[in-house]
Amino acid sequence: MTATRFHTPATLDEALGLLDEHGDDARLFAGGTAMVTLMKQSLLAADHLVSLQRVPGLEGVRLEADGLHIGALTRHRDVETSDLVRVYAPLLAHVYSRVATVRIRNAATVGGGLAHADPAQDPPAALIALDARVRIASRRSVRELPVEELFVDYYETALAPGEAITELIVPRQPADAGAVYLKFLPRTEDDYATVAVAALARIVDGRAHGVRVALIAAGPTPVRATVVERALEGAPITAEAVRRAAEAVVDAVDPLDDFRGSAGYKRDMAVVFTRRALERALGLSPA
Amino acid sequence: MVDYHAIGTPTPRVDGVEKVTGRALYAGDRRLPGMLTGRLLHSHRPHARIVRIDTSAARALPGVHAVITGDDVRGHLYGRRIKDMPVLADGLVRYFGERVAAVAAEDEETARRAVDLIEVEYEDLPAVFDVVDAIAPGAPLLHPAFGTYPGTQPLDVPSNAYDHTVTERGDFDGAFAEADFVFERTFSTQRMHQAYLEPHTSLVSVTDGRAHIWTNTKAPHSIREVLTVTLGLAPEQIVLHHSHIGGDFGGKGTPLDLPIAYFLAQASGRPVRMVADYVEEFMAGNPRHATLTRFRTAVMRDGTITAHHVEYFVNSGAYAAYKPGGRIGGATRAAGPYRIPNTRIESIHVYTNSVPGGHMRAPGGPQGVFALESHLDAIARELDIDPLEFRMHNLIAEGDEPASGDQITRPRVRETLQAAADAAGYRDAKALHVGRGMAIGDHGAGGGVGNAEVTIHPDGAVTLGTAIFDQGSGTYTTLAQVVAEELGVPVDRIRFEIWDTDGTGGEDDSGIGGSRATRVNTVAAHAAAQDARTALTRVLAAQLGVAEADVALRGPDVLTPGGEPHTWAAILAEVGRSVTGRSHVDERGPTHMTGFAAQIAEVAVDPETGQVTVLKITSAHDVGRVLNPIGHQGQINGGVIQGLGYALMEELTFADGQVTSLSFGDYKIPTMRDVPQLTTVLLEPDNGIGPYQIKGIGETPNTPVAAAIANAIADAVGIRISDLPITAEKVYRALQNRGAAAQ
Repeated sequence: MTATRFHTPATLDEALGLLDEHGDDARLFAGGTAMVTLMKQSLLAADHLVSLQRVPGLEGVRLEADGLHIGALTRHRDVETSDLVRVYAPLLAHVYSRVATVRIRNAATVGGGLAHADPAQDPPAALIALDARVRIASRRSVRELPVEELFVDYYETALAPGEAITELIVPRQPADAGAVYLKFLPRTEDDYATVAVAALARIVDGRAHGVRVALIAAGPTPVRATVVERALEGAPITAEAVRRAAEAVVDAVDPLDDFRGSAGYKRDMAVVFTRRALERALGLSPA
Repeated sequence: MVDYHAIGTPTPRVDGVEKVTGRALYAGDRRLPGMLTGRLLHSHRPHARIVRIDTSAARALPGVHAVITGDDVRGHLYGRRIKDMPVLADGLVRYFGERVAAVAAEDEETARRAVDLIEVEYEDLPAVFDVVDAIAPGAPLLHPAFGTYPGTQPLDVPSNAYDHTVTERGDFDGAFAEADFVFERTFSTQRMHQAYLEPHTSLVSVTDGRAHIWTNTKAPHSIREVLTVTLGLAPEQIVLHHSHIGGDFGGKGTPLDLPIAYFLAQASGRPVRMVADYVEEFMAGNPRHATLTRFRTAVMRDGTITAHHVEYFVNSGAYAAYKPGGRIGGATRAAGPYRIPNTRIESIHVYTNSVPGGHMRAPGGPQGVFALESHLDAIARELDIDPLEFRMHNLIAEGDEPASGDQITRPRVRETLQAAADAAGYRDAKALHVGRGMAIGDHGAGGGVGNAEVTIHPDGAVTLGTAIFDQGSGTYTTLAQVVAEELGVPVDRIRFEIWDTDGTGGEDDSGIGGSRATRVNTVAAHAAAQDARTALTRVLAAQLGVAEADVALRGPDVLTPGGEPHTWAAILAEVGRSVTGRSHVDERGPTHMTGFAAQIAEVAVDPETGQVTVLKITSAHDVGRVLNPIGHQGQINGGVIQGLGYALMEELTFADGQVTSLSFGDYKIPTMRDVPQLTTVLLEPDNGIGPYQIKGIGETPNTPVAAAIANAIADAVGIRISDLPITAEKVYRALQNRGAAAQ
């Protein structure tokens, strides 16, 4: 690691000011679980690290009319164990519990994880399926963006220079929806997914409604499989309909060869796990 | 049955508290005044001539004290047996990761920056990575000078196959001519890293004309011997000091950077410490060898194997240096404990432009056993004979000579296999896509020379002096049990004095490796304790005024005919001096004994994904007397889990000769959550070696696991995976291919 200035601003405004001042030479620093690894591997260098550890008001979960508001500095473990999240977005609590190990989850922050934009990270699958948004602040503006639109490419987000994720807004998970997250870990429990799928759907009069399917580790960004959703939305729930809809997922994914499987294998597995997730969400197979 | 109080009693590790509280010192914990940090420049080419190295910018960097290249250490060759590896690349690099230059600087940061400032110009040469390519006509020859290296003979025909050993027995060709069936198959295995927690570390300080060394090696005397050649020093100019070792699994028998640290210390006039990072461990460590095994096996209609041809190719990597014998075993493991009268066993070690292999837990064993036990299982299934019956039909009994050529007294392989089958419920009903598979392996306890010194102090304390550097497998605990047993004192009375290499008074000591530690060192500790007892008896007799023959030691008490009972400690306190017993033992002879392991894996296969879930592994062992049940069970559990990693996930992956799995994020080892139900069966001991009738356990439990799992997969879904590791994707593809073939 090369020598870096480590700033500890006391307010968000001051932190955003440092980002403006140092531009590309500055990076926000939160839990450090990804950034320290990248810096040690010389994959990332920053002359200025702007720590958010002293900035107040960026941590914690609260319930508002439009859903759960989760501060960007909230630790993964705190989302996983939050009573509010467990009641109003149980899928999200579950997905955060599947991230890495408890040591990592105790340090990694929600905002940091999203800004890292590693397409193999678990949370975006659930966040996209739940129609979550991120709130993004800079010295000039505050804006909101659907999580689905946050990711641009491998390790690349839609954040502009000087912007920071400050909050995550997660609409309440419909109480009558089936919600499933399947993470395929063929090598070891301690690994990134070969592919993983979050599926959410309600059954109304024997038909599928509000179908949401999102995948991670299946391309350069977490991806929402609208092609699958559309194929199933409003359709009578049969094993055949689910199977056909799941097959469409190949048009939504774009995986790469890596240690967790070849691109072709991951494509095939995306179909299998999309189908299995939907079968469970729609009550066709036991959860 | 002898009644023991310490031997056979579950005994917690004597160094456990020290380790978990952080008091135990490892080589990386040592700090010497003026100590510098050494770092390496590794080759980024698999095979290339070094046209030019420019170190001027590195030398000019403030804080840099020395920069050395192959020019500075020319002619210094390293190797446990075959000395074919230059300390730093000598005008040529033969693998991606080879050590090219080294820097000693004030701190790690400066050393790393200096390494980055070294410029190397390469001229690429054709490279070969695969054993078959490397022995093909026209393949680039890696070592044209083979035969001039110390420890080598010139080859008849220059070849990358630097060691080709053939053993033939019986009427080999005739048996094939008469066979009802001939089965041919090829199996391959991957490179595996030992994945110890503590990376290779070397600290060298040259003072008063002596090289003082702290490193994580489990065979300090052997390494000193090797270093005399590599460094050009006399044995008395080298001393290896003790440090605790943070895991070994075979990988700590050859200190990777030690000669370089020595030359950096020489060049800088300061102590130099080098600690490998894990990228270096994966890129340029001394992993388990990749192998390729071809079989041709003759079988009669009734399932009798009549002839067996093994061609066992070991991908040596660029050098043979890290192999203690210049080559590894495994070819005979691919013949096994089966009664096959006609055999040809070929063991072929081949240089390739890849990371040199070293030792890992039963070197060659898991490779040979995976191949053989998979092959035999496939034959049984093709002949529609139950794999258990097929094995029982062909396994040796007392008096039979096994295909491996091993001489084994009282082989209990059938009993061990039957015990595993019974405990595993081998014949029980199975759910769909669940299968059971078995495999057999064995490993004898290696021999060597050992030393011990036992001193009984006037206050009743006992000190055990030893040359052993326990690498984590629990030898110190076992030795404490031996001394406690022989002196009739509690284990916690034993204190350790761990010697540097000067401590044996010039005697050699084989250290740890080859499952010899318990065999050799229980004999040594037993002899030293007996010697101390004799010395104590003499002192007590004199003090009590009786004949030595009339002195009886019973635990803490000394009894004399008609005399008052005393504790011997009280009498020794009166005398006011200590007594000492010493031993130097030579335990190099053959034992004709081995320890068999038979394992049964139960797996579930997901036919839609190829995912293999191991549900249960039953491991039966033909053991001698178990000295410490805790340590013994730990060796079995740990070995089985390591075998699980070998079977399903661990692999050093390569692209164009470069290791690509450079972190534990990509190179996966099993975690506790991956461990299935483990059941151990220990046969009642009926023979063994030494004063307590022991056998080795360290290198048997990891050996059969991969084959047992492969065979269980074949049982579950009818496909055969013949190359390790067995990934879900390989199973998926095999199922798809079979499906396609069936249509």
